Amino acid sequence: MSTYGYSSPGQLARRRLILGLAALAGAVVAASACARPAGLDLSRDRLSDHGVFRVALSSRATPIPLFRTHSWSVRLTTPRGDPVSGASLAIDGGMPEHHHGLPTSPKVVADSSPGDYVVNGMKFSMPGWWNIRLAITTPEGLSDTITFNVVL
Amino acid sequence: MAGAARAAPAWSADELKTLRSLWLGSLGPVPPDPSNRVADDPAAAALGRSLFFDRQLSANGKVSCASCHQPARGFTDASATGRGVGVGARRTMPIAPAVFSPWQFWDGRADSLWAQALGPVENPAEHGFTRTQVARVLAGKHRGPYERLFGPMVDLDDRSRFPLRATPLGDDRARQAWRRMAPADQQAINRIYANFGKTLAAFERTLKVHPARFDRFVAGAIGARGDRGALSADEVAGLRLFIGKAQCSTCHNGPLFSNGGFANTGVPARPGLPRDEGRATGVRTALADPFNCRGPYSDAPKGACEELDYAKVDAAVQTRAYKVPSLRNVGRRAPYMHAGQFASLERVVDHYDRAPRAPAGQSEIRPLGLSTKERRQIVAFLRTLDER
Repeated sequence: MSTYGYSSPGQLARRRLILGLAALAGAVVAASACARPAGLDLSRDRLSDHGVFRVALSSRATPIPLFRTHSWSVRLTTPRGDPVSGASLAIDGGMPEHHHGLPTSPKVVADSSPGDYVVNGMKFSMPGWWNIRLAITTPEGLSDTITFNVVL
Repeated sequence: MAGAARAAPAWSADELKTLRSLWLGSLGPVPPDPSNRVADDPAAAALGRSLFFDRQLSANGKVSCASCHQPARGFTDASATGRGVGVGARRTMPIAPAVFSPWQFWDGRADSLWAQALGPVENPAEHGFTRTQVARVLAGKHRGPYERLFGPMVDLDDRSRFPLRATPLGDDRARQAWRRMAPADQQAINRIYANFGKTLAAFERTLKVHPARFDRFVAGAIGARGDRGALSADEVAGLRLFIGKAQCSTCHNGPLFSNGGFANTGVPARPGLPRDEGRATGVRTALADPFNCRGPYSDAPKGACEELDYAKVDAAVQTRAYKVPSLRNVGRRAPYMHAGQFASLERVVDHYDRAPRAPAGQSEIRPLGLSTKERRQIVAFLRTLDER
């Protein structure tokens, strides 16, 4: 990487610190209060926070587009794999490094087959590390949350 | 290190990916507008072009869209706020990049180009006109082209049915006149008014964003076809700051240097203007606008209005949030921000460096700790976005 404009020892030291953090984050990002942790879990199919459900999340548009609304699919089952129907799913999220939420208000509705749901109105307004958090409740009274990481 | 650079700087794979994403060559085609069935009709664009320059569409016969959206200045003007019949409250925005944005106006209160066009025409500070007057201008001067696109126009001669000046958004007299109209006649006028906006939008969709020196530089860096060019050492340093330490590309990203969203960046309020909540009010106005994607004058099929259906409504985050404008050609259109608060690019970079508190709401920006040289380099980079 070039060193245009950095000639004094103080500036070079600060440059190395920034480069070190950039190496950690895998991108050129200035130091921030919520820097991306190393080893971020990027899996899209796992158990919810208290193990109540198994949740698989996938984008219906591939590659995941930027700047425009699109839909995602959610597959909701018991940990054993039995589909869970009739659940309400609330969705929120944002970019922890930039302290802002989702740019739209996506809504989750049931899809045609048991255990399948659609998230409509997702939008990512920039590349980087996004959180998508689902809060799930069933009519039988089961509830749990899960957070997915998406890096664009 | 000032002066023209000779050696090509080395870029990492991630940086090249970022450069490609900012390159004008990455801009796709103009997105379709299902709410406007004449959006891509050349005859509609031709009529829209005539109307865009028609000064008769104003209370004093002297103001057209082009009075503020001046073609020679990238379809903007050089004033802090627009001057039509009166003086407005907002900086005139350029048009070509707006074609790619789902929301229009600094506060996003219109969800299409055609809905946007209807605002200034009835704004007392801008054109000071009314929709019934617009209908009469169309009937008098543009009947042929209008009717070929939209079918026969209703007969406007009966002044008891169609007053001279009537609109739900005007002065007291115009509003009273509107209220006295039969609902079917109000709808007929609204339909003509919506069609008027749709032809203006068709014209605006033909306006192009032109390449800049920055694009020729990126073409060279990524090995793309076409003209290549160099940037100076300061300009390259400014680019690195733009995508790095200064975090400009957080929001000013993509080939138009805008993510099409809204942000509160702590821009000070301009004294003397009414209190302004930005997108917090704008999104509610758009949701209630009869000329929006879901309204009776839209051509959009059900389910084709996703931006509106899933629009975020959150006053806490949206208070004094304004549209992230495209930075293409930014060097040519001082002053800056939604009411022209900053006279120069230097002042803009100074603002971002200091990151003062917002007058209301929560600013998203933080102080950057830029040196004088770094500030100068960022400004130098911004000037490489001038269209050539």
